[in-house]
Amino acid sequence: MWAQPMRRTLLSLILRLLFLNPVFMGACPGDGQKLLEQLWNQANLLQDTSLLLDPYVHIQGLDMSGLKQGCQERPGVFPSKQALEGLSRKDFLRTLNTQLGQVLRRLHAFQRDMPNVQAWGMAIRYIHGIRNNIHCMGELLPGSPDTAAPPQAGPGPSPPPTRTPDAFQLKLKGCRFLRGFHRFMHSARQVFHEWRETWSRRSRRQSPRQARPRGVRRARGMQPSRRGRRLVPRGQLPR
Amino acid sequence: MAPMAVFQATFLLALLPLSAYQSEVSSEPLSLNVSISSAQQRLHLQWSVHNLTHPELKMAFQIEISRIKKSNVIWVENYSTTVQQNQTLHWTWESELPLECATHFVRIRGKEDDTWAAQQRVWSSWSSWVKVDAQSLLGQGPPHIFPIDKLVEEGSNVTICYVSRHNESNVSCLLHGQRIPREQLDTHVSVFTLTNVSFISTWGSNLYCENDPDIITGAEPGTVLFVSKVLEEPKGFSCETRDFGTLNCTWDPGSDTDVWKYPSQRYALFESFSGKKKSCEQKNWCTWQVAQDSQMYNFTLIAENYFRKRSVNLLFNLAHRVHPMTPFNVLFESVSTTNATMTWKVHSLGNFSTFLCQVELHGEGRAIQQHNASSQVDGQYFFSGLAPATEYAARVRCAAKHFWKWSEWAGQNFSTLQAAPSKAPDVWRSVRSTLGSCNVTLFWKPLSKSQAHGEVLFYSVATENQDRLSSSKLFSIPAPANGTELSLDGCSHQIRVTASNGAGASPESVMVIAGDPGNQTAEVKEERIRGTEDGVSMSWKPPAGDVIGYVVDWCDGPQELSCDLQWENLGPNATSTVISSDAFRPGVRYNFRIYGISPERTAYLLARKTGYSQELAPANNPRVYISNLTLHSFTLSWTDYATDSQPGFIQGYRVYLRSKEEQCPPGFTKAVLPDNSVCCKHDIDNPEQKTFVVENLQPGSFYEFLVTPRTRAGEGPAHPFGKVTTREQHAHALIRIILPMVFLLLLLTVLCYVKSQWMKETCYPDIPDPYKSSVLSLLKPKENAHLTIMSAHDCIPDKLEVVNKPEGIKAQFPGARKSLAETDCTKHDYIYLLPTEKSSAGPGPGICFENLTYNQAAPDAGFCGPVPAPHTAPPGLGDLLTAPGNLLRSLEPSYMNSPGETPAGETTLNYVSQVASPTSGHKDSPPTNSLELAPCSEYRMQMAVPLGLASPSPNENRSLSSMSLLDPGEHRG
Repeated sequence: MWAQPMRRTLLSLILRLLFLNPVFMGACPGDGQKLLEQLWNQANLLQDTSLLLDPYVHIQGLDMSGLKQGCQERPGVFPSKQALEGLSRKDFLRTLNTQLGQVLRRLHAFQRDMPNVQAWGMAIRYIHGIRNNIHCMGELLPGSPDTAAPPQAGPGPSPPPTRTPDAFQLKLKGCRFLRGFHRFMHSARQVFHEWRETWSRRSRRQSPRQARPRGVRRARGMQPSRRGRRLVPRGQLPR
Repeated sequence: MAPMAVFQATFLLALLPLSAYQSEVSSEPLSLNVSISSAQQRLHLQWSVHNLTHPELKMAFQIEISRIKKSNVIWVENYSTTVQQNQTLHWTWESELPLECATHFVRIRGKEDDTWAAQQRVWSSWSSWVKVDAQSLLGQGPPHIFPIDKLVEEGSNVTICYVSRHNESNVSCLLHGQRIPREQLDTHVSVFTLTNVSFISTWGSNLYCENDPDIITGAEPGTVLFVSKVLEEPKGFSCETRDFGTLNCTWDPGSDTDVWKYPSQRYALFESFSGKKKSCEQKNWCTWQVAQDSQMYNFTLIAENYFRKRSVNLLFNLAHRVHPMTPFNVLFESVSTTNATMTWKVHSLGNFSTFLCQVELHGEGRAIQQHNASSQVDGQYFFSGLAPATEYAARVRCAAKHFWKWSEWAGQNFSTLQAAPSKAPDVWRSVRSTLGSCNVTLFWKPLSKSQAHGEVLFYSVATENQDRLSSSKLFSIPAPANGTELSLDGCSHQIRVTASNGAGASPESVMVIAGDPGNQTAEVKEERIRGTEDGVSMSWKPPAGDVIGYVVDWCDGPQELSCDLQWENLGPNATSTVISSDAFRPGVRYNFRIYGISPERTAYLLARKTGYSQELAPANNPRVYISNLTLHSFTLSWTDYATDSQPGFIQGYRVYLRSKEEQCPPGFTKAVLPDNSVCCKHDIDNPEQKTFVVENLQPGSFYEFLVTPRTRAGEGPAHPFGKVTTREQHAHALIRIILPMVFLLLLLTVLCYVKSQWMKETCYPDIPDPYKSSVLSLLKPKENAHLTIMSAHDCIPDKLEVVNKPEGIKAQFPGARKSLAETDCTKHDYIYLLPTEKSSAGPGPGICFENLTYNQAAPDAGFCGPVPAPHTAPPGLGDLLTAPGNLLRSLEPSYMNSPGETPAGETTLNYVSQVASPTSGHKDSPPTNSLELAPCSEYRMQMAVPLGLASPSPNENRSLSSMSLLDPGEHRG
């Protein structure tokens, strides 16, 4: 019963991976728009709960009506959408990269605990891909390296006192983590979408003047820095 | 909260000092300490005995455990042991209820149990109750479920409790979605008992509770119950070595009892001779290093998990557990046409170097030879009796001298060498002689693989004229041809055929052709044979002379045109055979010829057979013609029906006759057709009879008939029936009357046509001749001699009446007769051509004829129309004029009665003549002068009638004496 949707999900992922052609196998492409498109697509895939959360919930037996409440995202684990929108582009990419690193570690732990589940390996490979694209996108962004530390995962309520988690709480914790991850990727996808919109508007405005690419205004909700309006080299994204 | 976190560790030992009861300790003989193990739900008791009278003393202890309150004793344990001075004693009790679910109390007392200390055999006083209250450490946090991460074996009973800081009476808990029955232990503790739990998942079964308002996100009360399968005894435990260096032991572990977070299933090997033990990393196999000096091994495989421990033993001699490695270097030497030698090598096993090997030879996908061979490290086997030019596959496997297991197979393919074909090709021929030469078509069957001994490269055909021995020819036909055509000078030839491959030629196949075979065919009569399930069976009489064999040939194709010549060789003693072929089709006639082969290799025709492998019923019925139809009979014939081209031998025909009569004609019998209709039938048993006279029929009756052929397999289709009706009895008499009448009628018609002009003028003239009018016959006897017929020439036109007709009226009523009302609307003008003082004034006698031939058409022509407006019609005349019928009827009395009722002198006869319009160019029409006519007007000519001839009354004169000049077309309506 479980094998069928699992197989379908895997097949779908493989096909989408083939078509997306992530750049983790080679050098960074110079085409920022293509890179942005890929990032958006990858975020779109990773926000899909059928990738990780649904298999996890099924395997751990958490697909009971009484347990749904316990699988809500715990605030503060992943940055909120508002927090992401308030970041500069470089900070956003850095934050995304950091969070994906944490997710990778968690997925490796899942892989050890549940070695027969192929979804972990697939997601791990895919996160490697998006992290490479994040790296390439960071190289396209102009300006000196931003040394500001990426924001933490938002204030939120204080986490409950630490205690040695039992198996039940571990299960719920994993479930909350994955739900938060998918929500986080959904927010990241929306940010990438705004980037794409900005790029499109800029391309439309500057299409007669392709020889003089200029920086465009930041997307709505982003840091209204004056640096965002400076010139950027060809092929680079505005900050 | 921090103490609570510490408490909830998996293994928590809480030492509960007895400080609360310190005042009593000094007076007690025993000091008791109690600690708990939460995960294991165990209470660990430690105590020591004060003031032990001897260094070593056997003592008995009694332990009481109460739950919730001291008086509720749930366990009493008697425990005896030998106690030494200053020794701390231990005892453990496991609770079925998690210790966090309720407060427990423990106390202990003891007594000396040695036989010589009888006076001391009284129980000491009880120790103080030691309270074990794990609940108190939970604090005021969210509710809890205990035990945490409980690991149990499948089939166990588990007690779970829900502990809340509030009074909880409505909580419900579910295990994997299934609700569990609840018991209230106290106001804030609910207990749930699970019996005979079953394995669901290695990830455990989630147990969670609902309906707690205190639930805080992230602290949902729940636990995971890990149910482990029952550990099975390992099956199929076996050890073997392949190199005398390592033992490889395998077994089937059965169900996996490990669960997530609590993997506990493990295996270990213990060897009793050496006393060594090894933990196995895998659950189904393990390796063991062979000791150089050890031949015997006694292994114990120990399987254990949290709950069970199982073991199996295996004792063996190492030399009896040898599984040799796969042989290698398999090669073939000295391969000839029929022999080959296979060699191989086996990995050395030190002192144990004698092997039993099994050799197999495979050809054409199956094992054709199997041999056992004893060998050392190097082995070989000699294969004989092989077929030349054949590919074989040979393989070998070996086992140790003390057989334990065969090694894997090692094999190699090889082919034997070619040899000359071992058999002469099977050759046959067909001969056609034309103008002194013979066209011989040779056919031969390809040699089988076992006969060819290699690929046949070509066939050699040598011909030698029997009449001129010096004349011989040699032909070489490349393979894979299966025949050739030869044009020989004369039919007397000897033909020799051989097949050759790379190693040589086959023996010769010899045949002699003598004479024209066509003559033989004519001399031998063809016989019919029957097919059976096995084929077509035939037999023949042996000839008078010697024969070395027989040949039966036939065409596999339908007939001679597409002949695929087949033949079968038979021995000299054969007089019958059954020919079968995959090419035989049901319903197809095959012709067989049987030849005898003389010692001189000459074939001569012995018999001709024809038959079917399986006869079929005819698919079609013959086309039947009817002839000689009489009153009582008719003849059916189907002479063009080809009996030889049917799907079976025609045995005869069946004639069906169907009529309304119940009785069948003589010679017919009743029969029921497949459609259950009843009819009459007559069988014709002679297949050559293709006519049949159906007799004794009723005259003028309708019959349906059907002629269907019959074969051994059945008759043809029962449709369609033909139809015939026998002749009527009075038909001849009728014909004698009808024919002359028809002739006469025809003659009359021709005559009428020839004399049509005369007939027309006589019977139906265009212009009626007044002299021929019947009126004259009425008038003549009564009128005076001066009465005469008015001629148009005698009339002098005196005025022209111009009638204006509105076009719309015409258009509105095309072709319709005008009513009086319509004509009233017509505008009349009169143009007076002559002085009319008298003409219109005084009344005078006048005769006017009315042509009765046209009186019906007159109204149509507007006869009643030209009544001038000032003139009014006489009373009643208007009505009369509205319809021609009325007019006729109104006139009839005057017409019929005039001779009697009207005086001659007063009789006014109107003669209205049909005249042509001026435009018609009628010879009688008056000159129109230069009168200009109004368009769309109707003109009528009024003629003054001589006074001597007519003197109409004023009224009548105005209305009836006018002679209209009408358009002929309009007039005739």
